[in-house]
Amino acid sequence: MAIDHSGGSTVRIENVSKQYDSKQGTVQALGGIEFSVERGEFVCIVGPSGCGKTTLFRILAGLEPPTDGEVLLNGSTVTEPNADMGIVFQEYHLFPWQTVQENVAFGLEKADTPADEKRQRVQHLVDLVGLEGFEDSYPKALSGGMKQRVALARALAIDPSLLLMDEPFGAVDAQTREMLQDELIEIWQETGKTVLFVTHDVEEAVKLADRVVVMGKNPGSIREIVEIDVDRPRSRSDSEFGSYYERVRSLI
Amino acid sequence: MATDLQGERSQTSEASDLPALGVDIRRAALGLCGLAGFIGLWWVASLFQPEFVLPSPVTVATTFVAEAASGEMLTALWQSSLHWIPGTIIGTLLGIIAGIALGWSQLLDDITSPVVRTLRPVPPLALIGFAIAWFGINNAGAAFIIAIGAFWINFYASYGGVEGVSDDLLDVARSLGVKGDLELVRSVVIPAASPEIMTGIRTGIGRCWMLVVASEIFGVPGIGRRILRASNNLQVDVVISYILVLSLMFLLVDSAFRAAQRRVLVWR
Ligand SMILES: Nc1ncnc2c1ncn2[C@@H]1O[C@H](COP(=O)(O)OP(=O)(O)OP(=O)(O)O)[C@@H](O)[C@H]1O
Ligand SMILES: [Mg+2]
Repeated sequence: MAIDHSGGSTVRIENVSKQYDSKQGTVQALGGIEFSVERGEFVCIVGPSGCGKTTLFRILAGLEPPTDGEVLLNGSTVTEPNADMGIVFQEYHLFPWQTVQENVAFGLEKADTPADEKRQRVQHLVDLVGLEGFEDSYPKALSGGMKQRVALARALAIDPSLLLMDEPFGAVDAQTREMLQDELIEIWQETGKTVLFVTHDVEEAVKLADRVVVMGKNPGSIREIVEIDVDRPRSRSDSEFGSYYERVRSLI
Repeated sequence: MATDLQGERSQTSEASDLPALGVDIRRAALGLCGLAGFIGLWWVASLFQPEFVLPSPVTVATTFVAEAASGEMLTALWQSSLHWIPGTIIGTLLGIIAGIALGWSQLLDDITSPVVRTLRPVPPLALIGFAIAWFGINNAGAAFIIAIGAFWINFYASYGGVEGVSDDLLDVARSLGVKGDLELVRSVVIPAASPEIMTGIRTGIGRCWMLVVASEIFGVPGIGRRILRASNNLQVDVVISYILVLSLMFLLVDSAFRAAQRRVLVWR
């Protein structure tokens, strides 16, 4: 069996603001963010450190409430994490006491899928991210790239229509990163999921995205949304790629 | 999708998982040397002291064998087990449950904090009056004293373990559909805190063997009672023999638990 080709979700971010109050004072992390993502679209969010990318990610994921505004997933307001979203963090956050297989199966435990189907699904995902042979390894024995593959498979297991990722490839070496990027594009093309991908790497954003949302600082807000009209697979050496790269770069 | 894992193979060090045999033998040999040295010093010291101050290792060994042969030792061990085992188990379980509950729930923690802080410094021995009043001079009373000791160690170990569980893991679990406190505690908090919880259990087991003596002060029979009686009669050889029994029991239970701990925490 394969992952459902159910397609993606639509996301609407409506006038989202976030203010953190602390003893040191108030931080306006996000000020009035507004954009929409279409079904099956791959959108990257780039911006300098501290511009509120992670804050926006957490609000999108329902892990934190916005101070103002709201996020709509397929038309309904997001208030808590739900099964329509798969979330991948930069630091993997695998469950260290579980093997690769068990990590991937975590989200399926509660679902009332028959055990046999569950097992098949887990195996399919492990294969999909190229970890066959490591099913029974514990996270401590995996490299960073492999851990991120497990995290991706784990998020895909619940078959979310939206994949939310916060600098997922930030902690791996350049070569592994490129491999993971290609794999992600393949999975995305295969499944038609909507992907919202946070990164501070402009090249990564231009390589992956249909559209790049460029954010600025103080308070975090959208500078511009750049549509990347380059055929895939994209190559960095392409002159078209280069000009998009320069364009996004200049906005940051 | 075929993926090439070349260049990012895992760094599993198979070798380091299995302790090198040579190292083990070396350590065992050194340990034996230390032990032999200790017994040697003891023997030399005993030459200059009367038996009732410091009996020689030979005297102690003879007494040990005699006590063992007469069946007295086994009886005492059995009698102590009757409160050590239930006391340890009950105290450990309650301590873990309370530690997890208070470590997890800020509300419970705030409500109980003054009470916990008041009770915490009370030494188990100070509660002997209550043990007698509530349970009587019997195994239940002695088990109560032992349970108090186990409780606090396990309480703080579990509490600390739960507090240290990363919020990120909880976020991941939530995003994967885990809802509600009970589910989160079961599927994330307990496994994540299990190393600390296990360390608490292990420390508690040791502490409870120490408390066996204290818990028998008020007359419950067992190893502790035997030690106290022999002390009053200045039978130092008997005292040392039963101290050895405590040490050996501790060693046995601790090794068994350590083996179990290694199996449960293979993922570490
Ligand atoms: N929990 C919090 N409490 C207080 N301030 C916070 C909190 N989280 C984030 N902030 C502040 O909000 C702003 C945005 O932070 P955020 O982590 O979203 O930035 P970012 O774009 O993800 O940065 P980076 O690229 O370094 O990951 C920062 O000024 C940060 O200090
Ligand atoms: Mg961030």
